[in-house]
Amino acid sequence: MPESLTLVALLVLLASAAGLAIVLRSAVAIEKLMAVQLLGTGGAATLLLLGAATAQPALADVALLLVLLSAFSCAAFTLGEGEDPGDAAKPDEPA
Amino acid sequence: MSLVFDIALVAGLIALALHVVVTRDGRGAILGFIAFGLLLGIGWARLASVDVALTEAAIGGGLTGMLLLRAHAHLGREIAPEAMARGEPRRWLAPAIASGLVALALGAVVLAFPRPAPSLAPQAVAALETTGLGNPVTAVLLAYRAIDTLLEKIVLILALVGVWSLSRDAAWGGASQLRPAVIPEPLVFLARVLPPFGVLIAVYQVWVGADLPGGTFQAGTILAAMALLVMLAGLRPAPPTQARALRAMLAGGPALFVLVGFLGVAVAQGFLSYPEAIAKPLIVGIEAALTLSIAGTLALLVAGPPDKAPAS
Repeated sequence: MPESLTLVALLVLLASAAGLAIVLRSAVAIEKLMAVQLLGTGGAATLLLLGAATAQPALADVALLLVLLSAFSCAAFTLGEGEDPGDAAKPDEPA
Repeated sequence: MSLVFDIALVAGLIALALHVVVTRDGRGAILGFIAFGLLLGIGWARLASVDVALTEAAIGGGLTGMLLLRAHAHLGREIAPEAMARGEPRRWLAPAIASGLVALALGAVVLAFPRPAPSLAPQAVAALETTGLGNPVTAVLLAYRAIDTLLEKIVLILALVGVWSLSRDAAWGGASQLRPAVIPEPLVFLARVLPPFGVLIAVYQVWVGADLPGGTFQAGTILAAMALLVMLAGLRPAPPTQARALRAMLAGGPALFVLVGFLGVAVAQGFLSYPEAIAKPLIVGIEAALTLSIAGTLALLVAGPPDKAPAS
């Protein structure tokens, strides 16, 4: 059972990594922010699976923090948004 | 299977670190760095250092990212974007060589560790009973090596004094301006919904820290992040730094720590030693006060020097 849980955790990690590689290559800053959100959810899933595989319930706390702080970094991202003329000129959302 | 997982994790970490270094666009690099902090949290969890994993996720994935984003926004206002993007072609060479040397030296040191590694862990676990705690990390931080923790908290306050001293004379004692020029509607919604969960998780972290991974620093960081979120969304202004209640909160944790420390001289074996019967309540009390101090200090450190003149 632990083996298969670790295998699933590995798959989730690889899927997140593949998504990350694509998202981080984007030229639009908001799309890069999605990398952080992706790691928030994918990382939390990985940690929960690992916690079950290694019988470490405390890993659920780390997963909780990952989700909370990736949402927070979304808010931090608004700093400087709409001030920098270089950024404002770029299309922030794909039309 | 876990070996394959670890290799994939390390490969991801290295690739992400390289991406952060190579990226030209500053904000993109900062976002990559935040993602790196979150991924590194998983790495620490794999090393069975759950306390470190919690701290890394909170500091690396949360507050440092915001500090950097704020610094970047500030720089963008002062310096023209062309000047930021321009750089000499060979500028990366010296840092790359220096970083490579440090990485090699660190690798050599890690490989040269004696086996089995010298460890005080068995003694730390054996003496846990006298503290009434269940988490050896908390016992080390607040009982065995309490003096280190105390000094560390005082250094945090000194750092805050250093940041405050960067303010202009007119703004001394005033508040920091945190709100962005435009506040998107979803941000206001997030700032209303997220903080209750954050406060709950922080209280849980302090409480669980006595017996399981968790503790004051993680909890303080979460509280600081929630306070910053509320200020960012403009729901509450940043507190003026001359407010008495704020300063009492900042100094309260270390002050209580020192007080309990001297109490130890009178009723126990010496400075910072707790009477065994009430060791746990004392430690939990210190932790609660320290959490508030850390939260205030970190939030104000990220908010930066005051730049609005006090109202009085």
